[in-house]
Amino acid sequence: MQPEPSRAELDQIAGHYGLDSAGVEVLLEVADARPGPGARRQFLAHLLRIGGVLSLAAGVVFFVAANWSEIAVFGRFGLLELLLLACGVLALFRPPPAFAGRAAMFLAFITTGALLALFGQTYQTGADVHELFLGWALLGLPLAVLANWSVSSAAWLLVLNLALALFCGWHPTGGLLWAMLGWHRFEPATVIIGVALINAALWFLFEYLKLEAVPGWVRRIVISCAFAFGTWAGILGIVDRDASPLVTLVLLVMMGVVALYSHRTRKDIYSLAVVLGAFIIVSLAWMGDVMESWNAGMPLVMALWLIVSSTGAGLLLAGTARSWREEATT
Amino acid sequence: MSAPSAVERLVDTLRTRQVIAADAPAPDEAEHRPWFVAMMLGIAGWLAGILLLVFIETNFRVNTRTAIGMVGLALLVAAWAMYYADRKAVFLDQFALALSIAGQCALAWALLDDVDSGFRIASTLLVIQLVVLVLMPNRTARTLAALFGVIAWVYTVRFAVLSGRPDDIIFDNMMNTVRYGAGAISLAWMISWAPLLLLTTWLIRRESDWMARNLRVFARPLLAGALLGLAAGGIIAEPFLVPAFGGQVGLWISWQTIFPLLSIGLALYAAWCAFQLRSAGLTGFAIVAALFHLGRFYYLYGTSLTWKSVIMFCVGAAMLGAGMLLRRSQAPGGVA
Repeated sequence: MQPEPSRAELDQIAGHYGLDSAGVEVLLEVADARPGPGARRQFLAHLLRIGGVLSLAAGVVFFVAANWSEIAVFGRFGLLELLLLACGVLALFRPPPAFAGRAAMFLAFITTGALLALFGQTYQTGADVHELFLGWALLGLPLAVLANWSVSSAAWLLVLNLALALFCGWHPTGGLLWAMLGWHRFEPATVIIGVALINAALWFLFEYLKLEAVPGWVRRIVISCAFAFGTWAGILGIVDRDASPLVTLVLLVMMGVVALYSHRTRKDIYSLAVVLGAFIIVSLAWMGDVMESWNAGMPLVMALWLIVSSTGAGLLLAGTARSWREEATT
Repeated sequence: MSAPSAVERLVDTLRTRQVIAADAPAPDEAEHRPWFVAMMLGIAGWLAGILLLVFIETNFRVNTRTAIGMVGLALLVAAWAMYYADRKAVFLDQFALALSIAGQCALAWALLDDVDSGFRIASTLLVIQLVVLVLMPNRTARTLAALFGVIAWVYTVRFAVLSGRPDDIIFDNMMNTVRYGAGAISLAWMISWAPLLLLTTWLIRRESDWMARNLRVFARPLLAGALLGLAAGGIIAEPFLVPAFGGQVGLWISWQTIFPLLSIGLALYAAWCAFQLRSAGLTGFAIVAALFHLGRFYYLYGTSLTWKSVIMFCVGAAMLGAGMLLRRSQAPGGVA
């Protein structure tokens, strides 16, 4: 969607040549900087249809969350299961990639989560919230795959990462998952870097498979999640004296591998930006830790480091983006 | 010999179409900064500014309001000088941004230390942001000023129409629910957002006019900041921290349920504007903001979830229907 050249470059051209309004109109037209009526209508139709499906999905979730005490247990489950069935039937008659089929599979995915929540609410299963979300991600995976749609893929990834974030954040010392990991043998930082690695592995898988249902913007979500968890683990690895030094090492290796891969494929600068962003934050935490206790010069050193590191990252990324863009035109 | 860059190709086309002279020199190479790089630099500069202010406050014992104000002004002048002295040096840019943020915070602190009026606080911050927007010769600084200016504007209108104490900025969940009538709340909403809707629409329609003048150095950051504010402003316009601190959420049954939905509308309008500017970053931000407003709709505001679900079903059906009709009209043989 980003045109070439960018708006900033167009502003500069307009200023450099002192173009008048008519000249700028030509400039914008030649640069294809404005979508035409067809493209605008297509975008609007897209926005309305996806917004409509998301609103219907939200309606389902709100309906279940209403703690629907007036309806008997059979009725509650029956209604959601009927909705699930209707989505399945619709998808059979209008299978993806038709919009109706994709929307039906997406709604089925959302309804699966609502059904699990209703089950937990009705029978008070005692399951933790992260177990609900993880169950939703696992049971909903076939539906997300069948939908073959970027919106479904993004929703599935968000549900999975929400489950993992709740698992890491709550740090439960009970439950099936934690027992499987042997919680007494794993520090939180180790588990969190493991979650970061899961996301990084998914990112590499999607990069390799080049699925239509996982376009660039969805892959950006995956790599952002990977380094959000990686940064969290990296900070814990620095400030938590009990954390294994391997955590920081694994994070550094992960950064290096992603940066190398991005540099080799020369497709999307975003992954490099995420790596550098994680590096800036973790290094800032390291700096604070090295100084150990609060001292008067600490904020200045940290401010200067932020300025230096972000400037370096900005220069590197802008230069790399420019050179990749020029290479792409040759 | 390397292939011509996108800018060189564009300039060649302008020469061919005689928009510029055939022998017109090529422009200097402009820095191409993707939106996420600009965002990273902005956040880092902002955080560095806060750290600088902490350093100054803790090391130089700046205790009086006058001294803090002087420090703030000095930092702002230093930032302006750095931006002005060398507009190509990225390190100086980033350092100047940090100084500028620290200066703005110090100045606001000096001016508002003892003030007990929400309106005066918000309007003073709005004036500071407008001054930064006009004077600071840097696009990132101006965009941040425009965004913070929109936020200050929303609060200024809110406190002007509804009144309130500084604490109301974050915590008072009574503010928009029981204390004021429908007229005042609707008026505050209209005065907050209608000018911003008009401003963004006008700036997009007249883009070629202001690009042809020096106004572009103000208008471009103003447009970006206004769109960011339109998309996310509703989040700060309401007492969003209430649920986090266990306030009364979802108890009042009232028509005000509609406000987060209006915020979703604003965010989608911002996405539409961003699409017309072909800005993927702004479009994505606006869509994420719309999803966040949906979360607010779930957690804040007092009507029953059953009613909320009915509203969402109706809105969803209407959007889906409109989208389908629009799509059909585009199809070959459809209504043009």
